[in-house]
Amino acid sequence: MLKSLKEWVLVFIIIGAIMLTGNWIGYDVLPWNALPGIAILIGISLAGLIVHRLLPFQLPSIAYIGIIGLILTIPGMPGAEQIVMYTTEVNLLAIATPILAYAGVSIGRSWFDFVQLGWKTIVIGMFVLLGTFLGSAVIAEVILRFQGII
Amino acid sequence: MGEQALKLWKDWRLHVIVLAIVALTESIGTFAIPVGPGTILLLPMLYAVVIGLALYFTPLVNDKQSINAEPLVFLSVSVLIAKFGVQAGPALPQIIEAGPALLLQEFGNLGTIFLALPLAVFLGLKRESIGMTHSIGREANLALITDKYGLSSPEGRGVMAMYIFGTVFGSIFIGLISGFLATVTPLHPISFAMATGVGSGSMAAASLGPLVAAFPEMSETLTAFSGVSNLISSVTGLYMSIFVGLPLTVKMYEILSKNKEKKEKAAKGGVDYVKKP
Repeated sequence: MLKSLKEWVLVFIIIGAIMLTGNWIGYDVLPWNALPGIAILIGISLAGLIVHRLLPFQLPSIAYIGIIGLILTIPGMPGAEQIVMYTTEVNLLAIATPILAYAGVSIGRSWFDFVQLGWKTIVIGMFVLLGTFLGSAVIAEVILRFQGII
Repeated sequence: MGEQALKLWKDWRLHVIVLAIVALTESIGTFAIPVGPGTILLLPMLYAVVIGLALYFTPLVNDKQSINAEPLVFLSVSVLIAKFGVQAGPALPQIIEAGPALLLQEFGNLGTIFLALPLAVFLGLKRESIGMTHSIGREANLALITDKYGLSSPEGRGVMAMYIFGTVFGSIFIGLISGFLATVTPLHPISFAMATGVGSGSMAAASLGPLVAAFPEMSETLTAFSGVSNLISSVTGLYMSIFVGLPLTVKMYEILSKNKEKKEKAAKGGVDYVKKP
């Protein structure tokens, strides 16, 4: 646990630095302005990973991370406004770009398996993604309209 | 995370490469390509995944970097999930109000069964199509099918093919269509934000990115709804597959393939209902 914790902290420092750089280049937020925000997000991630290790439930760690972030920022929670204010400085897209850069490097290994898939698999795959994505959006739309929210 | 994962931070080559990719792609910035009435957004993150993939075939990236990158995707996704969380808190009243939509849109993930399964059967696939189309085919579904049918079964081959497809092409494809669909269909961006909780973290990032870029004035609301949708999917997704998705796919497959056999026999000269030996 302690070993993982040290590993996580070091990795998060690196990832955080990369995100701050992207946030600076792409979205013009100076790194020291976004530093508290990224530190908070990393703190929440760490807390979620630790809680995931400690609790016996079969929930994925990202569920804990999301729930912790949500609870901390419920209006009225002490410090919620500050957390929101600081983390707003970290642009969502600046977080997404490094994720997909790592993902790109990691999927290289699957490329040879990928090119061996037939054209039918590729076409069906696109329809699987399309069906899943569009299906959810359509149901959400119907219910939101029914409720008069949108 | 095993022993080999304990030296992730030491892989400087990987981190410097990713930093370079981020610096390069963020300086290129976003391009919007109008396609008919809609727009396809080319975001830095899309170039990033393509460049990352391309670098694998250069001496810059070895297998070691590629292997180490995988847990790093997970850890960087956790920062994204934390961001989802802190956006969701302030929006809690809105989220509760939209609760029914958020919960029920999970059933929309079954859309693949109605769209992709008939296509797979039409293209002549047999039981592979069950593995391929019962869900978006990420890790949890791979485990489910392997557990139920075994990885060398037709169903197992199907889910494996879809897993590979989604791994390589998933985030690119969904990143391209998400912004386009949101601009071209009459559906509200919030509905699409709820749909971003489709499966993997990188797909969530790739599908939400274009929405936020296309509707910057709603970015906080969209992120909040996307976050909660991802949260719900991460908790309920597998059970949805076990209890609804997979049984429904099997049933639909049996109906569709039976119909197809009938039609083919009828086309072969009107001899239907030939008894099987």
